[in-house]
Amino acid sequence: MRPVAHYCTIIPPYVLDQLAEQGHEPAQRSLALDLAHRAARLQAIAPTPPAHHLTRTIRDAHHLQQAPGKPVRLEGRPPARDGSVNRAYDGLGATFALYENIYSRNSIDGNWLPLDATIHYGQHYDNAFWDGSQMVFGDGDNVIFTDFTASVDVIGHELTHGVTQYTAALDYHDQPGALNESVSDVFGSLVKQYALGQSAAAADWLIGAGLLAHGVQGVALRSMKAPGTAYDDPRLGKDPQPAHLNDYVDTSDDQGGVHINSGIPNHAFYLLATALGGNAWERAGQIWYDTLTGGRLTHDADFTAFAKATVAAAKARYQDESVANTVTAAWSQVGISTT
Amino acid sequence: MRIQVTRTGGLAGRTQRAGLDTADRSDAPHVHALAREAVAGGLRAPSYGVPDGFHYEITVDGRTVYCADPKLTDSQHELVSLVLREGTAQPVQRGLAGGN
Ligand SMILES: [Zn+2]
Repeated sequence: MRPVAHYCTIIPPYVLDQLAEQGHEPAQRSLALDLAHRAARLQAIAPTPPAHHLTRTIRDAHHLQQAPGKPVRLEGRPPARDGSVNRAYDGLGATFALYENIYSRNSIDGNWLPLDATIHYGQHYDNAFWDGSQMVFGDGDNVIFTDFTASVDVIGHELTHGVTQYTAALDYHDQPGALNESVSDVFGSLVKQYALGQSAAAADWLIGAGLLAHGVQGVALRSMKAPGTAYDDPRLGKDPQPAHLNDYVDTSDDQGGVHINSGIPNHAFYLLATALGGNAWERAGQIWYDTLTGGRLTHDADFTAFAKATVAAAKARYQDESVANTVTAAWSQVGISTT
Repeated sequence: MRIQVTRTGGLAGRTQRAGLDTADRSDAPHVHALAREAVAGGLRAPSYGVPDGFHYEITVDGRTVYCADPKLTDSQHELVSLVLREGTAQPVQRGLAGGN
């Protein structure tokens, strides 16, 4: 007899009922599982809906490589003694503020997702990441990198991986992966620019300024203004980012160079924002936000598809044709044709 | 036993590789046990992991497995930390296809 239980999701319940009544064991198991799932779903739905405001929780992993850890600062509580706690708290707040005030997005998921972060993750851990539901920060090894809470744009970058996950869900490899990375750099930089009140012309357009340890030859992890120039150090090597499609790096490392080739769309955004002038989070940021959240971008979009979507978003949002033309020109300068 | 660890990805997108030969180590039995456990718990193909998470490739006496943060087993975590910290750093040719 066929193992009905394996097909429990596609076999109609009434058929399962019948099989179960006839003493079919897999069907009985399947029904029991169904009931358990239903009960779990009801329980999951039952708790109160999320509060309609920013809700942050910072937790401390105490150098274990395990999230989430023990809560050390909750929403509305005064600063802690530990600077990492407060930088993480403030960075989550700055990111929430950009999305809420400028794009009317209610937190990362658009539905008031509480913002959680774990700090002091692991020992000398040289990284920060979004684990699918919260942020994780390492302390850095202090040889190459310092505390990963040091850069507000890095916090914005990580949380934007959450926004992408809930919206365009771009694949995390090759060109869609480089776009996923670039979108995080774009909004990460905008979080910083908005927090500092900096115009596109005044901004440094760096990702991870302040993250390199003392003595490392460089200014940041990446430069959107001048990809490939962020660092050149004997231990760290040279910043490998291209700024033009002609220099696209084919590699199997890093999911197909997602942190490398992001330099190309990063630079296109920089060119657009500085050409439009004023504050980058206004028209340039709005076009990118509309592209990411508009529902038309496919998860496997390549550079050309994304570029075309930004032109369409510019046309849809701004009557002034020169805006869309500026978008087209920015892509064209990095070697991507939208026509 | 020869152990090689390659770590790719991460927020910085930086690749690091180191190798370690247990022949001259006084803690060789411990490292051997660690390596066997790490390989047993590894995947045969690279996994997706999480955005900006580190990806690891562990090769023990010619056999390669994969794992990714934040889902390392304790022995994988201990092994990759040990090899990247105490092993001999190996050159990484960036930007070349088939980067291992
Ligand atoms: Zn990222």
